[in-house]
Amino acid sequence: MSPSAGSVLLKLDGLTKRFGAVTALDDVSLSIDAGEVHCLLGENGAGKSTLCNVVFGVHAPDAGQMHLEGRPFRPTGPADSLSAGVAMVHQHFSLVPTMTVVENLMLGRLDGVLKRRDFAARVRELGATYGLEVDPDRRVAELSVGERQRVEIIKCLIRDPRLLVLDEPTAVLPPEEVAALLAMCRRVAAAGRGVILVTHKLAEIARVADRTTVLRAGKVVESVTMKVADMRALVRAMVGRELVSIDRMVAVSLGMEAAGHAGPPPRPARPAPANVRTRRDDALMVDGVSYRDHGGALRLDRVTLIVKPGEIVGIAGVEGNGQSELAAIIAGLVCPTGGRIFVGGRELTRRSPGEVTAAGAGIIPEDRHAIGCIEEMTVAENLFLGALGRFTRFGLLRRRAMGEAAAALMHEFDVRGSGPGAPMKSLSGGNQQRAVLARELSLDPLVFLLAAQPTRGLDVGAVDAVYGRIFAARENGAGVLLISSELDELLAASDRIIVLYRGRIVGELPAEAGNREAIGSLMSGHAA
Amino acid sequence: MSAGATVTKGAAPAWAPPRTVVIPVLATLAALGVGVLLITATGTSVPDAIAGFWDGMVGSSFAIGASINRAVALALVGLGFILANRANLTNVGGEGQIAVGGIAATALALHGAAGLPRPLAVGVPLAAGAAAGALWGAVAGGLKVRRRTNEVISTLLLTFVGLLMVYWSVQSENLLRQPMTSAATLPESLELPAATKLPTVLRDPGSPLHIGAFIALAAALAVGLVLARSALGVRLRAVGLNELASRRAGIRDGRLVVLALTVAGALGGLAGAIMLQGELWILTSGFTSGYGFDGLVVGLLSRGSVVAVIAGALFFGFLRSGGLAMEITAGVPAAVVVLIQGLLVVTIAGTAILTDQGRPP
Amino acid sequence: MTGEQVAVFLASSLRLSMPMILAASGEMVSERAGVLNMSLEGMMLTATFAGALGSWATGRPGIGLLCGVAAALVVALVQAVLSVTLRANQLVVGIGFNILALGATTFLYREIFGPLSREVIPGFAKWEVPLVADVPILGPALFRHVGLVYVGFALVLALWAGLRYTAFGLAVDAVGEDPRAADRAGIPVALVRYVAVLIAGLMAGLAGVFISVGDINTFTEGMTNGQGYLALAAVIFGGWVGGRTVAACLLFGTATALQFQLPAMGIAIPTAGLMMLPYVLALLAVAGLVGHHDPPAALTLPYRRGA
Repeated sequence: MSPSAGSVLLKLDGLTKRFGAVTALDDVSLSIDAGEVHCLLGENGAGKSTLCNVVFGVHAPDAGQMHLEGRPFRPTGPADSLSAGVAMVHQHFSLVPTMTVVENLMLGRLDGVLKRRDFAARVRELGATYGLEVDPDRRVAELSVGERQRVEIIKCLIRDPRLLVLDEPTAVLPPEEVAALLAMCRRVAAAGRGVILVTHKLAEIARVADRTTVLRAGKVVESVTMKVADMRALVRAMVGRELVSIDRMVAVSLGMEAAGHAGPPPRPARPAPANVRTRRDDALMVDGVSYRDHGGALRLDRVTLIVKPGEIVGIAGVEGNGQSELAAIIAGLVCPTGGRIFVGGRELTRRSPGEVTAAGAGIIPEDRHAIGCIEEMTVAENLFLGALGRFTRFGLLRRRAMGEAAAALMHEFDVRGSGPGAPMKSLSGGNQQRAVLARELSLDPLVFLLAAQPTRGLDVGAVDAVYGRIFAARENGAGVLLISSELDELLAASDRIIVLYRGRIVGELPAEAGNREAIGSLMSGHAA
Repeated sequence: MSAGATVTKGAAPAWAPPRTVVIPVLATLAALGVGVLLITATGTSVPDAIAGFWDGMVGSSFAIGASINRAVALALVGLGFILANRANLTNVGGEGQIAVGGIAATALALHGAAGLPRPLAVGVPLAAGAAAGALWGAVAGGLKVRRRTNEVISTLLLTFVGLLMVYWSVQSENLLRQPMTSAATLPESLELPAATKLPTVLRDPGSPLHIGAFIALAAALAVGLVLARSALGVRLRAVGLNELASRRAGIRDGRLVVLALTVAGALGGLAGAIMLQGELWILTSGFTSGYGFDGLVVGLLSRGSVVAVIAGALFFGFLRSGGLAMEITAGVPAAVVVLIQGLLVVTIAGTAILTDQGRPP
Repeated sequence: MTGEQVAVFLASSLRLSMPMILAASGEMVSERAGVLNMSLEGMMLTATFAGALGSWATGRPGIGLLCGVAAALVVALVQAVLSVTLRANQLVVGIGFNILALGATTFLYREIFGPLSREVIPGFAKWEVPLVADVPILGPALFRHVGLVYVGFALVLALWAGLRYTAFGLAVDAVGEDPRAADRAGIPVALVRYVAVLIAGLMAGLAGVFISVGDINTFTEGMTNGQGYLALAAVIFGGWVGGRTVAACLLFGTATALQFQLPAMGIAIPTAGLMMLPYVLALLAVAGLVGHHDPPAALTLPYRRGA
């Protein structure tokens, strides 16, 4: 008994949610109709995920009401929401990796005996209906990212929900699977269900949305039906300033313009690398590197690549195809099971991270919180954690000297915070990343820079600054290896692009807009 | 969090003492209160019990000296605990480290060290005890780094191995058991030679207070400096907070983990040697009698502060002496002290959520 | 070795393994749900004492059994509140409970039974299983034990079946591997963990009662003597798998039985070495040198929604 299309399915009135001192949702009101795909658009930190989590019962709102089909809706937890007919696919997958697909789908009850065979049959049936094929008896750990997402969606649909919430589902998918996902959204809506789709890609909104609501800093700033939507107005609402002042890299990161469309690239003419600094060697040479994880799975398969001084090489690929492992090996955090690594001609295979730094390799790790910095320590401690010896006399630390040096570095790299003694976690994401850049780029000489997902989770102003620093490093003769899951960003910033698929290099192309489709196809495992 | 999100400051009254102090103090008072209630429940007159307790703690120069000597072992284990804990390591193996330290000190004192000049006769067994404890800690550290073995489990299992080694040592004449002269010969070692015993501090022959107190103070000073003022202290803290980020920043986290557990073990072993050379003089099965676990409690309650370790060690040292005296004079089982300690650990650990500041997700 | 000696040796091995088998099987359920009860020793000791007290006071071992299990369940409940709701450090809380249980049982024992008493308490009678009790060697070895042995094995089998075939069993594993995923699938993480810890408490209670009321018929201070820790080691050694865990307990129990058997057979071997063996084996197991298995991914990690 699906509700008639067009009737109000979920209504939110004045929802407010605070985390400590931060207001993540501020008086949000909107409604979702049955049979519509309702897109939520906004920058990182605008409150999109929080809104979804409130609807799904993960967080209880501090103020405001929700009504589901006209009845008050106050979920006490995900279990409550699920039984009320709200299902959600989270930004980060929530499948138990050690269990099989069918076991994951059976999860959720506490009583009764398991009926594996009946469930497996349901999975095959649903897969056939919605184009979501997956083998029910395989362990989730063995599935690709795309397959895992299919399992997540089946997990929702198996409960026959009235409202399906998808939190940034396309971020992890290769381009052609994005199309399939958006088509699935339309099919689900056509069956009379409501769909909330979170994204920060305008192109996707244009393809699938019936209505779009824009969030900024926890507030609803715009809510329009697609018939009257003006893309530039949406961007203005989302970013909070005029488009003209937005850097090209930012526009690319929003998916607003395909890379290369906006006239000539704003790269200054580069002198030949040899003129910058004479070097006999490549900035980075990765020679036949392979890596098997603890489970014995081959994550990298004889990867060979070279980054020359003064060039940016982009690594494209859907997440989980070996980029993280490659970055960890170059950073010295993981030992490869085969092959060799050179930076500036010095062999660094199986060397410690300290030796990697000493060789002039700056590393911007993909996970700022887990690897880039220690949030509980001060900015000064984070900046000089690897160089405490410089401030040590008779075994004791000279904190004042360290603070002064840190203040100078913060000034140079425009790290804004209350001072070198402030805890790292008191800084915004952008300023944290600037601090990481300050530490990694102040190496002298900086031979090579690894930038893994350098703009992930940053707001617009910070994206600009991060790329400014990366380009500056290149101008000074460093070779840069840029790893990103955002193809458009790679196309705009790199000189050439190498595509990783299942741990192997499957192609290398010049970073030109015309190659976008070819690269996307390589990322999905199709030969170019 | 987004830069544009509203930030409000929660106002706290300026005069309020930090919760990290208030809650442990309340927990201690509550545990002591339970102890008094239990004593009342036994039908003993509380003033009698407390008088016995008081006598045992500070009633004589003997009582004071003995209490401080007890505190020495607790303080050393506690110091080792907070040092390793700075790197987020939980060394629960103090008991076993004391055990092997005691064995090593006894072995050296009985075989060889007694003939050495006086400072060496005392120092060599002490060093041997520390070395044996260090080895015990290093094994746990090595397993942690090489095999990713949780140090709580490994130090605990090593404790049982160490305790059984004491048992073994005093059961076998080939090891440290005194020569069997009759069937009634007890399974224990010979008494340590006088030259290897720790010198006492006071002229008062009634006071057993020995130089172990100074050793503990020196250790406290060293640990305090390392934690508060040295680069090593910062590195330990970094590794404790985030191993991966520390490694990326160039810190050799594996070495630090082994070092921290080795030093903690050495302090435990030193405590064992001091117990043997200071007051016990004879190695017996079960000589450790819970000092390692009490030292762990002291370390746990101190929340990383060296001063608090000393205070806690003295508190428990006096508590133990008082409990023993109370059992003798008032007939209240000394186990009530053990009970109070257990209660303290549970309440402090259980209320940790109240002392940690709530963080936004 | 004569047939009779073999029978006695097998019977004592089983008898000495039994408390560990019970406690470890319950603890395995709790650990698979992500909660490590370092307090297993304390739960067992509490039950040992409460069981002895109940049996002594009423003269009925059955009442002792109820008292022991109830006492262990109380400890388990508090452990669950601390480690699940208050998100305390499970290892530290557990060790605290062990100190507390040792202090409390010793204190109460001295107060109630007097300082040096070795009071014999009414225990369970041995039950000879019809038909099979008279089979040579195996009969006396396996089928002349107190009823708790057979009930215990039935419970262990029931736990295994529950984990494998029921929705609750699947939920236990999910909560221990990935509580966030379990939560999002609608599983009440805290409830599942509470139940799992209480199962560990129930089984530890039976184990404790078995020692005092089922086997030795008295109580002594610190009577469990590290068997709770050995049960924890057995779970690790057994790789969080039911059958292997029970096998590890049998191995530990057999090593203990050998301490008594070998001297009786005139074989001189340091008993301390045999006593040490289970701990050394467990150490090798946790070091991954003997059959390494991955623990449940969320073991000892408290879960907070949205954190």
